Amino acid sequence: MTDRRDFLWKGGIWAGGLGIATQGTASLRSLVPNVSYDAPTTVKLGMPAEFPDGLKFLPDERLFVFREGNVFHAISAVCTHLGCTVRAEALSQPVEKAVGGAPLRLTHRFLCPCHGSRYGGDGGNETGPAPRPLAWYHLEIAPDDGHLVVDLAHEVASDFRLTLA
Amino acid sequence: MSTPAKPLPPAPTAPGVHPKPLWSLKPQSDRESGDAVVSNLLLHWFPAKVFKPSLDWTYSFWLGTVTSALFLLLILSGLPLLFLYVPSVERAYASVKDIEYVVTFGSWIRSVHRLSAHLMVAAVFLHLVRVFLTGAYKNGTGRGQRREWNWVIGVAMLLATLFLSFTGYLLPWDQLAYWAVTVGTNIASSIPYLGPTIRELLIGGRTIEQPTLIRFYVLHIVVLPAALGGLFVYHMWRIRKDGGLARADREALLREKAEEVPGRSKTYTLLGVARGTAPAIRSLTLEAPNLTVNAVPDLTRRAATATLGTIAVISILSTLVRSPLEEAANALVTPNPAKAPWYFLWLQEIVTDTTFHIGSFTVNGAFLGGVILPGLLIGLLAVWPWLDRSPAAATGVWFARTRRGQNLVFLALCLVVLLFTLIGTLCRGPYWHFYWPWETWPEIPTRI
Repeated sequence: MTDRRDFLWKGGIWAGGLGIATQGTASLRSLVPNVSYDAPTTVKLGMPAEFPDGLKFLPDERLFVFREGNVFHAISAVCTHLGCTVRAEALSQPVEKAVGGAPLRLTHRFLCPCHGSRYGGDGGNETGPAPRPLAWYHLEIAPDDGHLVVDLAHEVASDFRLTLA
Repeated sequence: MSTPAKPLPPAPTAPGVHPKPLWSLKPQSDRESGDAVVSNLLLHWFPAKVFKPSLDWTYSFWLGTVTSALFLLLILSGLPLLFLYVPSVERAYASVKDIEYVVTFGSWIRSVHRLSAHLMVAAVFLHLVRVFLTGAYKNGTGRGQRREWNWVIGVAMLLATLFLSFTGYLLPWDQLAYWAVTVGTNIASSIPYLGPTIRELLIGGRTIEQPTLIRFYVLHIVVLPAALGGLFVYHMWRIRKDGGLARADREALLREKAEEVPGRSKTYTLLGVARGTAPAIRSLTLEAPNLTVNAVPDLTRRAATATLGTIAVISILSTLVRSPLEEAANALVTPNPAKAPWYFLWLQEIVTDTTFHIGSFTVNGAFLGGVILPGLLIGLLAVWPWLDRSPAAATGVWFARTRRGQNLVFLALCLVVLLFTLIGTLCRGPYWHFYWPWETWPEIPTRI
């Protein structure tokens, strides 16, 4: 049986607990951001004609853009192991290889300075702790000014090529 | 209703009420010695009498005291740095540079802070090794002892120390800092399902920016020191509750064998009046007066020696060793090689070595080596007192014969960690390739 004294005692405990729980929840929730001030994931990279044949590294986007004549593709420079920026190392002899069913001229390989992962010219993980190949990103031409545009939120398979007319 | 006011009777002088407001650090009698403990705030957590062999330099090496002295130094040297450091991604690096090159004594204060932090990691580790090898997490003869829980608190304090170091070396926002956050939070991110959310919470977004710095800053200056301070107080309190250092149990055990005191109910020595009421109170102070000494000055003198010695060593070392500062954080270039501080290099080594493939299934080294293995190691450490089935007589003895097997296992694990640390420190070069220390690293262009 609950008498008044007992009821008030339990009420007090519950009120205290509820108060602390509310304060705690509010404090923690306030630390989860509602607005992202991150850089946009769709980035204009410049006119396609400005890209050299072969590889160009774009540090801000941590991206390698490859050009072979009028064919473009882009591979991420973010190591899939723990997120360091891999470095490109030119191969002494370019290798022709079918990547994703389409031929590709591989000119570089990629090495990670943090834990020694190594990737082939198509981004495939070869040795070291990297669990996955480097990401390939979607490229397109901006309809307004003709710039090359990368979508860093849009991963594509390694058969992706952007061929300009 | 008005009764004439009577003069108040003189205040009773009850035993135990200390008439003298002052105490002496050089007491001339047992009474004065006890007074010092009772009436001095800083000494009140000491017992009045201590078991003499517990104070031996070669039993504990006073590593716990050294650690707390380093913690004190970190708080003291951290205070001026708080006034000088600006936790903003634009100004953090410049403010640390100012501390290093412009502020009077700035570089010395920073060096004191940094060296104390490095040595604290080492001292905490050595303290843990000492406690393990002496079986000091075991319950001996006292009633109501919970030493195993004090060991668990200790493990938590080790973690707090490591997180404090981690959050600390992020603050200069140099290359070391930036890439350490990148790697550290990506390890968290490798946890299946929850990982990316945890990382987002840690860095306050999806990229490492101002919210990241302020989060690690608040953790470093408020949350973690407060947590460590609270744990420290509880750690000390438990030592009193558990009857002092484990060595005191050992001695009591030996005496018991010789005496065979009748009566099943007993309370442990004055060193730690354990819980539960007991009709017979035994006191080590009375039974073996030659084995106990007054806390003031015998304990205080040694504690002061350890503390002042630590402060002296750090103060002098800090004039000789400059604190490094790498280039300003640059999200565009990962240093090659990018190395963590020495106490995390064994982790960097195991995240490197633990990715493997079973058919098409890949185990990510970031998760296995960065989360699972360290988690298992810490978990094993925490539950070890419950796995330890050695007799109570092995409590508080260096290399007890009955604990030989587990001491060897423990030392082997320590050796592996040390070996990995050494490989990471000395043998890893550009692209984390293996080079012997005497080999020269090849020239790698810094730009691509």
